[in-house]
Amino acid sequence: MEIVVCVKRVPDTSEADVVITGKDIKKDDLAFEINEWDNYAVEEAVQIKEKLGGNITVISVGDEEAKEVIRRGLAMGGDTGIRIDHPALAGSDSMAIAKTLAAAIKDIDYDLVLTGAQAGDLGAGIVPVALAEMLGVPHATLAVGLDIEDGKAKVKRELEGGLMEVLEMDLPAVVGVQTGINEPRYVSIMGIRKASKKEIKLLDISDLGLLPKDVGEEGSLTVIEELSVPPVTKVAEILEGDPAEAASKLAEIMKEKGVL
Amino acid sequence: MAEIFVLAEHREGELREITFEMLGAAKYLGKDMGATVTAVLLGHDVDTYAEKLGSYADTVLVVDDPKLDYFNAEIYQKVLSKLISDKNPVVTLIGHTAFGMDLAPALAVELGLPLATDCIGLEVDGGKLFVTRQIYSGKVNAKVSLKGDQYMVTIRSAAFPVEEGTLSGEIVKEAVAIEDVPYRKFIGYEEAPAGEVDITQADYIIGIGRAIGDPENIPMVEELAEALGGVLACSRPVVDKNWLPKDRQVGSSGKIVKPKLYLALGISGAFQHVAGMKDSGLIVAINKDPKAPIFNVADYGIVNDLFKIVPVLKEKITELKG
Amino acid sequence: MDFELNEEQKDIANAAREFAQGEFDKDYAMECDQEHKFPRELVKKAGQLGFIGVHYEEEYGGAGLGALENTLIVEEMCRVDSTLGICMALPDFGCEIIKWCGTEEQKKKYLPKVCSGEWISAGIFTEPDHGSDITEMSTTAVKDGDEWVINGTKTFITNGEIADFGVILVQTDPDANPKYRGMSTIIVEKDCWEAADVGPKMGIRSTSTAELSFSDARVPLENLIGVENKGFYQVLEFFDESRIEIAAQALGTAEAAYDRVMDYIKQRELHGRKLASFQITQHKIADMATKIEAAKLLVYKSAWNYDKERKIDPVLTSMAKWFAARTAVEVADEAIQLFGGYGYITDYEVERIYRDAKICEIYEGTREVQKNTIASGVIGKF
Repeated sequence: MEIVVCVKRVPDTSEADVVITGKDIKKDDLAFEINEWDNYAVEEAVQIKEKLGGNITVISVGDEEAKEVIRRGLAMGGDTGIRIDHPALAGSDSMAIAKTLAAAIKDIDYDLVLTGAQAGDLGAGIVPVALAEMLGVPHATLAVGLDIEDGKAKVKRELEGGLMEVLEMDLPAVVGVQTGINEPRYVSIMGIRKASKKEIKLLDISDLGLLPKDVGEEGSLTVIEELSVPPVTKVAEILEGDPAEAASKLAEIMKEKGVL
Repeated sequence: MAEIFVLAEHREGELREITFEMLGAAKYLGKDMGATVTAVLLGHDVDTYAEKLGSYADTVLVVDDPKLDYFNAEIYQKVLSKLISDKNPVVTLIGHTAFGMDLAPALAVELGLPLATDCIGLEVDGGKLFVTRQIYSGKVNAKVSLKGDQYMVTIRSAAFPVEEGTLSGEIVKEAVAIEDVPYRKFIGYEEAPAGEVDITQADYIIGIGRAIGDPENIPMVEELAEALGGVLACSRPVVDKNWLPKDRQVGSSGKIVKPKLYLALGISGAFQHVAGMKDSGLIVAINKDPKAPIFNVADYGIVNDLFKIVPVLKEKITELKG
Repeated sequence: MDFELNEEQKDIANAAREFAQGEFDKDYAMECDQEHKFPRELVKKAGQLGFIGVHYEEEYGGAGLGALENTLIVEEMCRVDSTLGICMALPDFGCEIIKWCGTEEQKKKYLPKVCSGEWISAGIFTEPDHGSDITEMSTTAVKDGDEWVINGTKTFITNGEIADFGVILVQTDPDANPKYRGMSTIIVEKDCWEAADVGPKMGIRSTSTAELSFSDARVPLENLIGVENKGFYQVLEFFDESRIEIAAQALGTAEAAYDRVMDYIKQRELHGRKLASFQITQHKIADMATKIEAAKLLVYKSAWNYDKERKIDPVLTSMAKWFAARTAVEVADEAIQLFGGYGYITDYEVERIYRDAKICEIYEGTREVQKNTIASGVIGKF
């Protein structure tokens, strides 16, 4: 099995104060990490490789810092890394990123491409499905189960309301991975030692046959014009005081509202 | 006259709510753009759906074929790309659902259309379409422009209200030849294994989030649930970590609940979770982060560590219940 | 000069932090603290992932890395939780003596099991009558045929009750003058001693500290580590390395208090203002941040220096250990002040961190002993 996993380095904004500056947010004080969905994708790739053998390429579009998440993927069990970087990539929308990834992946003799179903920063959920179309192979996204057998991928997709769709498709294919599909392992010291000896190839967009106008804002069909703080439609009445006071107020309210 | 396409979504004998939400959004968009609204319905034996959709759209475009009985992204893509190429709708709206996410990006690539996903707002300015979508864990709204004059947009569930259906749209059947699709085969639906508790039937629900930290902390919250006479539910990360079974998950990919009381413990309030509990009677949130979006959904909130509140709250409740 | 960690070092710190954040649970830490419980399973997990003993060679189960990488792991683990973190750092305690002076057989037998988290070792040095002064030992080892016969009592032995084996410092030549020229180190296994817990401690209550008594304990002659009667020097050199680890513990513990108080001051409101907006808070935080940064530079430098061809500089390691330990105590103390009454309650963690911090000024040489070392290095003998 020749597996390609796409990973992205994203800021962790789940518990952080987010400050808007121009068309992006201030990122200096934010911790960065591998996109949570991508982490599950890497684990899935490693589990498939452990079962069926093969080779894993970890690929990311990003600056020098993106090497960190590629190395992380290599430490978890990836074999080689590819980083695609070029100043013209700034301002690319998800489609332009998919285009860039497709240009790199088409030269690999892959059986399976795994990506996160979406990313924690922009949350577009475009890359896996767009990438498959660009590569001309079948796809399934929001996978919560994946079995590879006899050149086919059997995928369980998560639908709304606790239902799953079971489908089968031919390889090569692209699968967008939903969280919870597996239990991602911790990075081990042995993994890090091995990763430090693995190659991370650096590719420019020209190596992929792309021009600066194909990517970035110029090569994107959607453009972020303006950011704003979401308007607050409703604000909870905050019960103040130490835990005992606050809990006591809450219990009283619950009684008053007839839910006790 | 220009047309707006709205892709009707249905599953297991039912038109899904998102369809009507999109049709509501399309009505206003149509006014701003000078366009009519066309509900696009792909399926098999779907006359009843078509009739229902007629109240919400100017036209219902139906492609009826056994191959469209189940959603299959590949087949849907082929039919839709043919319809869109033929009719050139100015905007195509698709739900940002498991169904739409699996379809829209490929369709947009095939047709070379700009695609904005998971949108919560649509506006027209100078004849151009702008959408609003949320980024960075819902903490920022982004206004996004789409290039060109034909667009594709996926719409977040519950972002637009359902309007009353007052139209009597014309039902138009369209035959599209569907060749065999070699790649992808629908096998079936699978229900997540059912547990002993049906949270959708509960009057009192305590929802726990990632902040519960460890499965060993769950018994403490269970005690509170018992004191309330309620059941334990959770947000997605708790299920992802296998701390509670899937059938306890509240949210768009879990269950939709409407209890008398929803007590959110350490739940940040991602929209996917909120979609599953926002219609509860009384919503109370306990969270350490005063900026957690859950406080914009809750009626009452306590900004504190859930572990500090839960034991005392349990006592107070037991006390008051006598 | 280059103050940057390399990529591998950053990855190691990240991996240790992710592990600790994923596995260390606050309630479990409180339970270990209150019930004097050692987190055995967590240690095994950490060992399997390679977080224990990265500074041992790969052939003996380590990662062939240095004191700096070990420092980063210990710092990150203690930063996430000072009580559980230190338990991940101490399982190999004393094994560096085997690493530097042991035979191939000894290294092969003991080191891999320690690095994998299966076995726990103890450094059995301190005696009831001599404290931090190891120039004299009452515990003796006498040759009898092909065995050593060991008698005596050791106290304040870290891991005493849970260790599978340990390295003991004993008097092997009672007539040596000065006495320390007649000491040796010997490997002893757990059936050699009777252990008794020293009783409840102020901090690091998740670790075991015991008194060990040896009564005609017999071990094979080949358990001697390195050259007979050179034990004092071996242990002295060992302390030079282990001091760095304790300095790393202190650094991480200081950061643990700092992280908690930073969260608190940004949330807590007083008279309608965030605590963080008061100048007195800001000055306290400025002090803490500066001390932590200074401690970090000292600790990293001493580890870096040690890794450069194992260059031993007792003055530098003592400075690092003394200063980082003082920083941990001071930062935790100020953190409690900022929390006010809540800081005194176990739930808010800083009181536990404060108690955990204090040991860094006591064990592996008190801060007074560190100052002796520094002074004799910079002034010379007077």
